[in-house]
Amino acid sequence: MFEFFGHTADLGLRVTAPDLESLLAEAARGLLAMLVDNPQQVQVTSTVEVKISGQDPVYLLFDFLSELLVIFDTRHLLLADFEVEVSGDGLHARARGEQLDPARHRLAHEVKAITYHGLKVEKTDDGWLAELIVDI
Amino acid sequence: MPAARFQGTLEQVDETCFRIPRSYMPGMRVEGLIYADERLIEEVKSGQAPQQVANVAYLPGIQMASLAMPDIHWGYGFCIGGVCATDPEQDGVISPGGVGYDINCGVRLVRTGLAESEVTGRLKGLVDELFRSIPTGVGRTGKYSFSHQELKRMMSEGVSFLRGRGLATDDDVEFTEARGCIEDAEPECVSERALERGTRQCGTVGSGNHFVEVQVVDEVVDEAAAAAFGLKRGMVCVLIHSGSRGLGYQVCDDALRALRDTPARYGVELPDRQLVCAPIKGPEGRQYLGSMRSAANFAFCNRQLIMWQTREVFERFFGRSWQQLEMELVYDIAHNIAKFEEHLIEGRRKRVCVHRKGATRAFPPGHPELPARYRPVGQPVMIPGDMGRASWVLAGAPGSMLKTFGTTCHGAGRAMSRTASVKAARGRRIDRELLEAGIIARARSHRGLAEEQPAAYKDVDLVVDVVHKAGLSTKVARMRPIGVIKG
Repeated sequence: MFEFFGHTADLGLRVTAPDLESLLAEAARGLLAMLVDNPQQVQVTSTVEVKISGQDPVYLLFDFLSELLVIFDTRHLLLADFEVEVSGDGLHARARGEQLDPARHRLAHEVKAITYHGLKVEKTDDGWLAELIVDI
Repeated sequence: MPAARFQGTLEQVDETCFRIPRSYMPGMRVEGLIYADERLIEEVKSGQAPQQVANVAYLPGIQMASLAMPDIHWGYGFCIGGVCATDPEQDGVISPGGVGYDINCGVRLVRTGLAESEVTGRLKGLVDELFRSIPTGVGRTGKYSFSHQELKRMMSEGVSFLRGRGLATDDDVEFTEARGCIEDAEPECVSERALERGTRQCGTVGSGNHFVEVQVVDEVVDEAAAAAFGLKRGMVCVLIHSGSRGLGYQVCDDALRALRDTPARYGVELPDRQLVCAPIKGPEGRQYLGSMRSAANFAFCNRQLIMWQTREVFERFFGRSWQQLEMELVYDIAHNIAKFEEHLIEGRRKRVCVHRKGATRAFPPGHPELPARYRPVGQPVMIPGDMGRASWVLAGAPGSMLKTFGTTCHGAGRAMSRTASVKAARGRRIDRELLEAGIIARARSHRGLAEEQPAAYKDVDLVVDVVHKAGLSTKVARMRPIGVIKG
């Protein structure tokens, strides 16, 4: 589950999930919902593989979302569906989506970057919680 | 996360300045000074931006004071509106958070020979044509594409590179801050990923608060300065606001990543990890400076190409060349940048690194860096307001050299968060409201317009009053929007 929260000039994302892998996948869906107003319209016709090395869940989240942002910015790929595995080497994700089509996808925000401000990933009593703020 | 109210000390120095004394936090090397008046300071105190002014005072090598302009609001590490000068000879540091993600975000003002009456009846067509022709918004690429090799030349040469391609004139170079080229850029310091993001984005506006706006000179306050800037009442102008696009964001992102552990390595203690920094003279600092300057030169070129496309649209629309339409560049200035400049500090001339994050250079009359034409009156400073009220043209004044390292404010500053703005706009059509006020607005998304609605911003007139009274820059002309395109 994810929700947005306000932060002066920018936008925050709060994510909860039962485990770390679904937390990362859910955060990626949250990012998509920041980019387009109608994420449900994104079809899954192409696949990209994303690998992030590291152990710290905070930096895994940061680097994963930053990578998705670069893929969107350079290749105009909207990614909507994620299978995420976290192992000792880091994160491996299979992300599916399609090329941006302005006729069907209503673009919402240009996300400049994921920021370190208030960035957190933590275990809670009933799963995992992440919060982050993006620069608009 | 709603920011808590600032609980620290803020002493009133005079009518336009408030002080955070060094005693507020033990690590402050200098005091903090916030330029604001009694009307603005209450809002400033309602958040954590003053705390950020105090935090910046921890940076090694900081000179005189950690400063903030009246459009201050919360930012990453440094507040927006923050100014800080560091001395490389005193272990001074450079901090990417003191520049921001959008390196050399800035504004450029183009005047035209057209009177408002020549445009009014045809305004809708003109704005539609601008919206069709100039890429705005997310994921829209430009008509210009540059190979990595070409981008590197552009980042090293600045706007002169475009002059070589017939996309800029001698005057366009002359009337851009630093003549459109920050020296000592090192494109080799820019990552492949940043280059990749820049390939198709030069000449695109982007989204967020960026825009191209058709304006009318509504009121002239200083006739002599306005004449030097070529502005007169009733004249149609175009104001362009954009920065270094994905290339610059990536340069900042790369630097924040690379510098994650640098302060600890140099034994620098900081109250906020987003103030990461590196000694100017060290390898990490040089690497960031080389890439930041490259991104800054890319941004000058981006605004140049947006202006070039604007000229082409006006040519097609009015059936005359842009020269016949007298579409001359008034000036182009950066408001997110760090630059080396000479300043008189405690009686000594020093070459310091001035960080301006949401703050604008405002050199006074007589400054040697100004184009000859503007030297008698001071540097033009453009202050975009919101799209419903006004923007201002100011002139740099002597107070800026005495008080703020040659700096003034950069805009109105946000008063409402994006989510609050969308909530406040629910059930309303901001474009129709603007139309009723005589302003034609075109944006890729209704949400974008809602987030950028006039009420989301402070009143720019209040901000400008403060810098005028403080003698940092003085009022020249007030500009009224009539058409705007956005992301």
